Amino acid sequence: MARNGNGVDPFTLEIISESLRAIGDEMFVTMQRTSMSVIIYETLDYATGLTDAQGRLITQGNGVTLFLGTLDYGVRSVLEKFGYDGLKPGDIVITNDPYGGGGTHLSDVSLIMPIFYDGKIVAFAANKGHWTEVGGMAAGSWTTDSTEIYQEGLQFPVIKIFEEGKINQGLVDLIRANVRTPDMSIGDMMAQAASLRIAERRFRELCDKYGVETVTAGIEKLMNDSETLIRQELRKIPPGVYEAEDYIDDDGISEGPFKVQVKVTVTPDKLICDYTGSHPQVLGPVNAGWTALVAAARAIFLALTDPSIPTNDGCFRPLEIICPPRTIFTAERPAAVSTYWETMLYAADLIWKAMAPVLPHRLPAGHFLSVCAPIIAGLHPDTGSLFILVEPSAGGWGAGATKDGENGMFCVGDGETYNVPVEVCEQRYGVLVEQYAYDITEGGAGKFRGGRGMVRDYRILADSAQHTGTFGRFKFLPWGMAGGSPGSRNYMKIIWADGREPLIVGKIARLPVKKGDIVRLVTGTGGGYGDPYERPVEKVVEDVRDGYITPEMARDQYGVVVDPETLQVLELVGKRAQKQ
Amino acid sequence: MRVATDIGGTFTDLVYLDEKTGQIGVAKASTTPANFAQGVIDTLHKSAIKVPETTFFVHGSTVIINALTERKGAKTALITTHGFRDVLEITRANRPDLYNMYYTKPKPFVPRYLRLEVRERMNYKGEVLEPLHEEDVRRAAEFFRKENVEAIAVCFLHSYANPAHEIRCGEILREMLPDIPVTLSHEITQEWREYERTNTAVLNSYVMPVAKFYLTNLEKNLAELGMGKVYHIMQSNGGTATFEMGKRVPINTVESGPVAGVIGAAMIGNLIGERNVISLDVGGTTAKTSLVENGTPRITTEYKIEWRRDYAGYPILAPTVDIVEIGAGGGSIAWVDNAGALKVGPVSAGADPGPACYGRGGDKPTVTDANVLAGRINPDYFLGGEIKLDVENARRAMKPIADHFKVSVEEAAMGVIRLADANMINALKLVSVRRGYDPRDFVLIAFGGGGAMHAGALARELRVKEVLIPNEPAVFSAWGMLMTDLRYDFIRTTIRRADQISAAALTEIYCGMEAVARQNLLDQHIPDERMMFQRFADMRYLGQEHTVKVPIPGGVITEEMMSEICERFHRLHEHAYTFRLDTLIEFVNYHVTGFGIVDKPQLKKLDGTQGSLEAARKGTRRVNFDELGYHEAPIYERSLLPVGVRIQGPLVIEEPASTTVVFPDQTVYRDEYGFLRIHTAYA
Repeated sequence: MARNGNGVDPFTLEIISESLRAIGDEMFVTMQRTSMSVIIYETLDYATGLTDAQGRLITQGNGVTLFLGTLDYGVRSVLEKFGYDGLKPGDIVITNDPYGGGGTHLSDVSLIMPIFYDGKIVAFAANKGHWTEVGGMAAGSWTTDSTEIYQEGLQFPVIKIFEEGKINQGLVDLIRANVRTPDMSIGDMMAQAASLRIAERRFRELCDKYGVETVTAGIEKLMNDSETLIRQELRKIPPGVYEAEDYIDDDGISEGPFKVQVKVTVTPDKLICDYTGSHPQVLGPVNAGWTALVAAARAIFLALTDPSIPTNDGCFRPLEIICPPRTIFTAERPAAVSTYWETMLYAADLIWKAMAPVLPHRLPAGHFLSVCAPIIAGLHPDTGSLFILVEPSAGGWGAGATKDGENGMFCVGDGETYNVPVEVCEQRYGVLVEQYAYDITEGGAGKFRGGRGMVRDYRILADSAQHTGTFGRFKFLPWGMAGGSPGSRNYMKIIWADGREPLIVGKIARLPVKKGDIVRLVTGTGGGYGDPYERPVEKVVEDVRDGYITPEMARDQYGVVVDPETLQVLELVGKRAQKQ
Repeated sequence: MRVATDIGGTFTDLVYLDEKTGQIGVAKASTTPANFAQGVIDTLHKSAIKVPETTFFVHGSTVIINALTERKGAKTALITTHGFRDVLEITRANRPDLYNMYYTKPKPFVPRYLRLEVRERMNYKGEVLEPLHEEDVRRAAEFFRKENVEAIAVCFLHSYANPAHEIRCGEILREMLPDIPVTLSHEITQEWREYERTNTAVLNSYVMPVAKFYLTNLEKNLAELGMGKVYHIMQSNGGTATFEMGKRVPINTVESGPVAGVIGAAMIGNLIGERNVISLDVGGTTAKTSLVENGTPRITTEYKIEWRRDYAGYPILAPTVDIVEIGAGGGSIAWVDNAGALKVGPVSAGADPGPACYGRGGDKPTVTDANVLAGRINPDYFLGGEIKLDVENARRAMKPIADHFKVSVEEAAMGVIRLADANMINALKLVSVRRGYDPRDFVLIAFGGGGAMHAGALARELRVKEVLIPNEPAVFSAWGMLMTDLRYDFIRTTIRRADQISAAALTEIYCGMEAVARQNLLDQHIPDERMMFQRFADMRYLGQEHTVKVPIPGGVITEEMMSEICERFHRLHEHAYTFRLDTLIEFVNYHVTGFGIVDKPQLKKLDGTQGSLEAARKGTRRVNFDELGYHEAPIYERSLLPVGVRIQGPLVIEEPASTTVVFPDQTVYRDEYGFLRIHTAYA
């Protein structure tokens, strides 16, 4: 059999690449199946992966899109702190530092394990999961009104939770004493450790079979293959400079808005994202750190080159990110960061917005963008124990050059994220879900229609509870494309049982609610694509029949007067009448 | 006479077993989509069996799955709880293709205007919060009549806890629209999660008219040929059901074909006293594998159609034998991706044009072509010589791959085989190692057209205890169907903490479910002495979502058994996930399986005195055994091999529809049933 430069035949390398990906898959499934947090096993708000001995990403299994960049940085922070000599077989390091080292906010906790073979570190297994509770000023740990990190929970500054296989019980006791749901948080930590140990075992088996040198050659090949594929796609993008700007609503403390911007420079070998000029870091907790910025840029970089590629270090070699320190995208200690995703999502959306006009087959119009996450915390009326409902909301996606926007799907930051079934939710949290439906509202008109957002009503059954929530794009709407209308906003509406004037907000912290009150979560419609008057009449009629638009919208936005009972077209009006 | 028939996309197959002689026979006819029953009748005629003497007839088909995937079902409507008609379309709102911003979600099988809401509400404890407004149901029925709806599904929130409103809604619909089939979600499953249950009910209704039409026809035709009421339909859970059930719950039959092979493998395991087996079915397009522990196939309700790594698909909460399927079969095409890496599958050359060596216009290199070039397949004896394989065509097709990697065509062919093997190994590991099982405790039973060809190499890597190649491996799935019992799975969700449920309460839940299962079997004419029940519970640590399936003792459960049940859970959790927790335990789902045991034929042992090795030997051929090198390997005809003979590899054993490759470090033994049993001398 022919050998390549490393003395290994190409087919063996291919088999090793596949085996490495299989290890990543197995880590991912192990963590999901054993986790204690809804946010991990349903939202899949976690990532697992392997890096090589230098901390270069080999493979990553993601549940959510925007964790792509956090594991390799985490491994490098472990290397910086301990060095190769400071690590022993069986060690597991815990970290959640948001300003460096692969952290995002304190709730996202990473565990990292060196993998030894023949007495040497040959790779690292790493994962990162959103713990429902890491302590701090608010149940669920993140909130919209913190102003410094010390209010946001426990900080794990790259420390060993396991030393040579033995758990640091003192640290475990400290965690248990400082979080509101100790069983859940420690349970998640054990699930994370289990997933690392599986990876260690499998990686060593691979070395047993093929030898370390061959496995290393397989890793190089995996990375180089991804780089090759990405570069081929990059060369298909017209070179040039593309710019976009937008506004973040506010930070929960001070009045916004905060201007953010990107300049994307495309050359045949490089894609440079320059965020210079974006707003300085702010008082409230919407600040993002460098890792979050990198993750956002990496994800959209894949979206506009080749979304199907195996993700590893090789993919990102042509990507360059520029942003000065202490901006809202590059916050420094002790800035509050607990709802960092509101800003990270803008980092992704800006590149998307800048590039969509030249890549309409890959990037549709703007979507509802925010994670739209509520926290409802209280005592379960049937069990008396504390419940913390934390979940992302699905919303409307933008229309594209060839299709309507998707109705009710999680935002770009999420991904293989599952909504919590109503039946599970009611049992677990003791709330009553009174509707889960599309929100038929203005916005998103176009030749291709923006997808519909959602409305979900929680009636509180506990005597009292607290509601926190952050719904970005409350003030600045999802953008339309090629003449399509913008979408609609995200918001929360509190409908009081005592008949007071309802409260409509985009951000709220620890609002007291009582039995019988309704917390209504509404997510936006996505942006439209193209002139609504070019939408075929029969499509408009079908939309009316299915109730995706009202007869009034058909008339006012699309110029089609439809009898809602018979679905007869009675008249064409507006621009459509002139065209005839 | 026991008869199994299987309607596939292109062909309808029949396998029969004469219980008196032990003789197995096969027949094949074209599938007849206009009237599927005709193809079955054609195979009965061709096989020349005496139809009235049939004692057991079992039928599997791809009719239901094809009606789903080709969207050829009925115009279906849906009734839901007020406020929740969009649940079917929202799905779980996930986007598995993480970096694709142009992703398109699965489109629902019922458009929005045919999804109507009625006022009613239960809570999770099954208490009525709002009574069913019957006038809403009547209004919906009127609308459906006007819209010429052909099937209706009903799914209300928490109907798993209390189905009263669904039942009443069903009564009204059946009274007002007597000719339109109705599915009530709780009739199929009493598991929670409203989207999955709704989708299951919808897909069931969608295929009910199709199922009814063809099964009724088939019934009529079989009766005309003089067959008694001995016919059954194969279900995805590995058991059979009556045609009546098949018409009422066709969604339970979508995977009827593939699971039969797993049941057959379990049967063979029991026969030879090896109750831990892994089945491997290598067909033209895919390879399928499943693990059988202690004689029992694993059942899952996390089944999806059209699912891909990057596409959400449609969940079906029907109990299904847990099979892992990958795109690596004989027809899978080898290709080089944009980065210059070799890939095999998932695209297949199919039956037409087929692999390049068929000489029917195929010019892409497939796994079968690679096997021909490696000397593993005899080009003059394919399908018993029916098709003469064109080696030169295979070589031409493989050339571009050889050129790309700057290796010889033979080396390229070996690379393709190794990559296909590696893909199969990953699937085999997925069902074994990755779930905490050690392959060394298992016998690998390989079948399908290509199973015997690849099993030897896979065994060497996985280090399984033994490889077994059954008789007639190409039609083994149908053979498996002949061995099935009636089976009814009943799953119900009621969440209880282990410290808050008494042994008496648990006993009551299971006895109640067994009463339902028993009635169901009685309805299918199974007498009590032929019934058997198994109990399981899906359990988890408090706070977890996913569960572990734990076997539960039958009869009255005592308090002592409760702690044993919890200990079993701890053990199984640790087995699967490497750790246990000192945390409270929850019961989530209760699962009862009712079997209606049918008589199974005794497999005849072969006469051990006939034949000789010399007579079986057909000559030698140069065969590539990968890292063990090329060998001039002796070739044997399987049917002529004497019983009880043990031969040292390297060698190849041929039969008309399959080829067994035995490596130099392996021996093969033909046992008293005629099975080939391969052992490896592990280094």
